[in-house]
Amino acid sequence: MKIVIKGLEVWYDSIQALRDASLEINEGELTFIIGPNGAGKSTLLKTIALIIKPKVGVIYIDGKALSKFSLKELSKILAYVDYQISKSLPSTVFEFLLTARYPHQNMLTFSMSQEDLEIVDKISKQLNISHLLDRKLDQLSSGELQRVLIARAFIQGSKVLLLDEPSAFLDLKYKLEILDLVKKFTKINRSICIIAIHDLYLASLYADKVVIMSNGEIVAVGRPREIFREDLLEKVYGVKTHILDINGRIAVIPLEPLNKMEL
Amino acid sequence: MISMAIPLYERRLKRFFYLLILFIILVFIVSISSLSIGPAMLDPIKVLQALAFKLLGRDVGGLIDVVAKLRLARTLASIFCGASLALAGLLMQTITRNPLADPYIFGLSSTALTALALGIILAPDLMIQRVYVVTISFIGAMIGFTLTLLLSKLGGGSDIAMVLAGIAVASLFGGVSHILLYIVQSMTKVPYMYLLMGTVSTTLWGDVQLLIPLIIVPITLSLALFKPLNAYLYGDEFAKQLGFNPASIRIFTASISAFLTATTIAFIGVVGFIGLVAPHIARFFVGIDHKFSIPTTIFIGALLTLIADIIVKAISIFIGGLGELPLGVVTAVIGAPFLSYLVIKRMRR
Repeated sequence: MKIVIKGLEVWYDSIQALRDASLEINEGELTFIIGPNGAGKSTLLKTIALIIKPKVGVIYIDGKALSKFSLKELSKILAYVDYQISKSLPSTVFEFLLTARYPHQNMLTFSMSQEDLEIVDKISKQLNISHLLDRKLDQLSSGELQRVLIARAFIQGSKVLLLDEPSAFLDLKYKLEILDLVKKFTKINRSICIIAIHDLYLASLYADKVVIMSNGEIVAVGRPREIFREDLLEKVYGVKTHILDINGRIAVIPLEPLNKMEL
Repeated sequence: MISMAIPLYERRLKRFFYLLILFIILVFIVSISSLSIGPAMLDPIKVLQALAFKLLGRDVGGLIDVVAKLRLARTLASIFCGASLALAGLLMQTITRNPLADPYIFGLSSTALTALALGIILAPDLMIQRVYVVTISFIGAMIGFTLTLLLSKLGGGSDIAMVLAGIAVASLFGGVSHILLYIVQSMTKVPYMYLLMGTVSTTLWGDVQLLIPLIIVPITLSLALFKPLNAYLYGDEFAKQLGFNPASIRIFTASISAFLTATTIAFIGVVGFIGLVAPHIARFFVGIDHKFSIPTTIFIGALLTLIADIIVKAISIFIGGLGELPLGVVTAVIGAPFLSYLVIKRMRR
């Protein structure tokens, strides 16, 4: 499986959010999108998820334009995770997770198959949310909810996983555990995973490929070592940084902004 | 490896079936009591006997035949209109993702009644046929729903904004329909005022025969939609990702809900709050999954309406006033405190 993005342009009214974005992503690859606020990370992710319609440009999955797929076909291919979920009518975690199997079922099948339940079971265990199944969504902490939402994407079993800030709200342990799991999931299923993230250290730890964006443009694409360079980060973020190499892991230490805010 | 999901699922399934059986039995028992209660009290056992005989095609004869036949229409109207209103409420709560939704609170009932009254004034000949009555009140209900949603969107689109918009629409068209029905009454010399607060006491056997299929069809349709409705609950994006088009779900479900509301109004008039209360009770018992909550809501709606109608009958027997209270008065007395409770719960959060 392969995703090819060609010349995407997205406009929010008169503001251009994506400029001529082109990108290629291969299966089994964990791709991280980084960049400052308003760089277009989420917009790129949402455009791939078909939530936003691009004004110009095409996204191909295995050579077929995304817009040519039906909603039903897409539901088996794409899963997009962000943290906006309606909780106004009280649903339990279990009820929520069961809906993620719908793409694999007939619309009128009344009962859940043993196989579907086993998948829910296995993934709830992996993400350590088994004990939350009977809880209401609005009774979860933000970290718990985040795990539930990621579990939902896994349960849906899509080949393309799009995660918007999956590590926000998670504590140190879960940040690492969940990204570990996402990486394993991507490798084992030969799937594609694109993650928009602010945490540069996590990106350097797990990324196979890093896409750095600024002002709606893709500035550079490459391996973590090619992207986490003091000059590039300074240009994109406007911050002086120092790159540390700890046992082969790259850590970006922010030093000071180029322009200080005046009181 | 200990499984959590499988026993949890089986427990839920079992619980649902037990509750369904319980509610069916309850509806049956309350229906028999409803048939027995009236100005002439009947022995419930004899009513049961007469029903059984009727089903077997044997002649029952005597007073019980006449009385039961009149009362059977009333009881069946309570069951089916209650089920219809309850389901209309559930569907509205789902598509607006608002636990405070109800056909009466959101103004659909009043606009449907206004349309109906206008129809009688403008084309009295057409309105002799129930089909036209249902059609015109359906159009009225759809307009009311659209008005409320537009108005609430202007007001920010929050849950409470929706309720306030609904109350504005309901009050305006409640007033307009009252005036129009007053004109209708002076034209036709038939008392139409009962439509304002609803009653099942005027329902005839012929009405029931038309009413039942008109309500069973939308019930079946909504049951078939349980998966899109479940997916829709969590947001438009979730529905889309699971392969359902949220806009189509919204329009289709809103139409079913408006149709159910319109049908009950065409037959028994405006009865509020059943659509608000029944889905909450159902969700409390079986959760949010529509494959469980739709059937449960239907039975609870039927049960509540039957009980409300028994209260109507009991009051008229004990007080012995002129005629009976409207059904909508009793449901309002039960339902409005429940609305207050929901509003308080919501605003505190």
